[in-house]
Amino acid sequence: MTYCYRKLYLSTQYMKIIFIILGMLLMSQNLLADISSEENKKVQASQFTKVVADYKLPEVNVVRQDGKKLSFLKELNDGRPVILNFVFISCSAICPMLSHILSKVETQLTKDGQKFHLITISIDPENDTPSALTVYAKKFDAGVNWDFYTSTREASLTIQKAFKAFRGDKMNHASLIFLRPFAGKSWVRLEGFMSPDDVVAEYNAMLKTQ
Amino acid sequence: MSSKIVDSLNIDLKSLDRKSKRGLFSVLLVTMISLVGVEISAASPNPDEVEIGRKIYMEGVLPSGELLKGVRQGAVQVEGAQAACETCHRRSGMGSLEGNFAVPPITGRFLFANEDDRPLALVDTRQPKDITRAHKPYAESTLSKAIREGVDVDGKDMNLLMPRYALNDNEVKAVTTYLRQLSSELAPGVGNDSLHFATIITQNVKPEKSDVMVKMLKAAFGQRNSSQQTYSGRMRMPLDLIPRQLRKWELSVWELKGEPETWAEQLSEYYRREPVFAVISGVSNGIWSPVSKFCQQEKIPCLLPSVALPPDEPSFYSLYYSKGVALEASVLANHLRAKDKNKPRRIVQIYRDDEVGRGAVKVLSEALKDSSVKVENRIFPEKLSENLKNIFKGLSSNDTVMLWLKPTDLVAVNKENHKQFPRVIYVSGFLAEEDYGFVSKEWKEHVRVVYPYELGEKRRKNIAGMQQWLKSWSIPLVDQVFQSEVFFDVLLLTDLSSQMIDNFYRDYIVERAEDMLGIGSNFSAYPHLSLSRGQRFASKGAYIGRFGSDGKLVADSEWIVPE
Repeated sequence: MTYCYRKLYLSTQYMKIIFIILGMLLMSQNLLADISSEENKKVQASQFTKVVADYKLPEVNVVRQDGKKLSFLKELNDGRPVILNFVFISCSAICPMLSHILSKVETQLTKDGQKFHLITISIDPENDTPSALTVYAKKFDAGVNWDFYTSTREASLTIQKAFKAFRGDKMNHASLIFLRPFAGKSWVRLEGFMSPDDVVAEYNAMLKTQ
Repeated sequence: MSSKIVDSLNIDLKSLDRKSKRGLFSVLLVTMISLVGVEISAASPNPDEVEIGRKIYMEGVLPSGELLKGVRQGAVQVEGAQAACETCHRRSGMGSLEGNFAVPPITGRFLFANEDDRPLALVDTRQPKDITRAHKPYAESTLSKAIREGVDVDGKDMNLLMPRYALNDNEVKAVTTYLRQLSSELAPGVGNDSLHFATIITQNVKPEKSDVMVKMLKAAFGQRNSSQQTYSGRMRMPLDLIPRQLRKWELSVWELKGEPETWAEQLSEYYRREPVFAVISGVSNGIWSPVSKFCQQEKIPCLLPSVALPPDEPSFYSLYYSKGVALEASVLANHLRAKDKNKPRRIVQIYRDDEVGRGAVKVLSEALKDSSVKVENRIFPEKLSENLKNIFKGLSSNDTVMLWLKPTDLVAVNKENHKQFPRVIYVSGFLAEEDYGFVSKEWKEHVRVVYPYELGEKRRKNIAGMQQWLKSWSIPLVDQVFQSEVFFDVLLLTDLSSQMIDNFYRDYIVERAEDMLGIGSNFSAYPHLSLSRGQRFASKGAYIGRFGSDGKLVADSEWIVPE
């Protein structure tokens, strides 16, 4: 009994020491972060990762904001470079932010005389009907190069899964933008916080490497 | 590496030391001022200031009338409603989940309290260990820094989703005052050791239906209460181990009698005698708007009652399974429009002249307004003794009808018209209540059901859990769809209360229900249930069904989600 108690006592002592060391490590990291916070501020707006990936995309039908039923693959492979993302209309922060970014990206690329296709896929398709998407598009000043698509729930899930963008439920969606120069090429997957300039820069860099 | 850390530690500790010596007086001064501030605001929050704070928090409007502006992510400007605190922290102030980012609760109880006095809250249900973040208590000065500069009380940069707001001192103060009073007291119906709910039964509901609902709710409450001594309901996840107050669930059954105009008064009287936290389930044979109005007025969450036609008025506190017969009418319109050249020339709607009948007829008429399908409406005779042979008068075997009728009426129509009838007879799945006894041999080929539930094997699987549960409690199966709704209600309630820990605020339970309806196993008769911010109808489509050779209802269309 005494032995057990002693063992327990010793282990709590060890735990205390470990906690103190952990605490010190954490503190020192914070302090380090403080010192370099000036440098951090400059890159603050660009906390994203970039991965080049190949996705096997499904042959499913989608419905564009004008109500037209179309093949998803044909929409992707119409010859124009593609910028793609996922949203749902009732999402309050991340989706409007992504849409806001894409709106700026569209303005910039149009100004640069680029040919491109912005594709936004709904991950809440039963709620986001074509007419609801039309209203949403207007809210973000979507131009002629930007289309919004709804579908059946199954088709939307299939597309999300193909892009490895499915996180179990619409509430768990991530901040993702996908770029591809043309059919048959790999996708550039951007994840995190990016500015419109970042996306334009990544888009241009992608075209250059072709 | 470690020597570097030690070096930096030394340097900074020294500088901290110098700062702290110099700032000792000012720290004391700030503490004194903030303590005085706490005193004042705790005593009586200035109502004008609360209102200014509310407008900023909820609407993103400044006292000048200009829009609230903020910068998200260092570059993205947001303003007005999009910048309002409520977008992420929600009406209750209890936070939410934005993608992978947990938005913390920011009411006074969470911001300003010492860690020991701070309640526990769970933001990310996927990570039950991620309960209320540990942080130093905020003071008004540190909160101001968080709101304006995006630097938290521990001196760290906040998530880039949090806008950095352009607010002046007075505006920040108003927001602070608003946060101090927001969700600061537990809702009516929440006792120290009890949580009171009501269910509502309107008049003329079949007794076997209302009886079975009450039986199911009582059984589920009993099951939950007897098990909560050892765990918080269902021991499914680590979440159930979070310490919380044990509260017994109590159920009141509110029966509404007489004219619907008198229901508001009856509801107020029930509520005065027994304040409840929320209304769970409930059933109506038709009209429901007095109930939804009451719930909205008293801010009582009214969770998923079984009603054929939810009122067509915006309501934050009422959540429904679907739009009922209005949904069916939209689905049918979509289905007919998609037939292109095979569209019927006209459709004749036959309905009872009551709220449900009129509602359904109106939606279908409007949905087909600009199409080539002519809509004609006929009222079903008040008394069945009248000659029902005339009901199909003038209709040929090329015509299409939609019968917005219940089983007894459908049986009567079939009886009088089993030889001569229109080519396609649509009926409402809601109103048929799974009773297809009216489908005679002659009619079988011609009947199509607008069916807002799942069919076949999937349906069988979804329902299996409920059937087992009913058996174990010796509760009869009277109406599968209806009972699956009641069953889903209690499961949802168990999940919601488990996730809310001890934070029983009414706005919060609605927000949680909005977020979580799409998650988890589907135990309902619907293919899929999902809500989101502002969405009030969890199922959004229907099949067109027909009777197979074995007499079973099978899907004759895809799942149709109307515009």
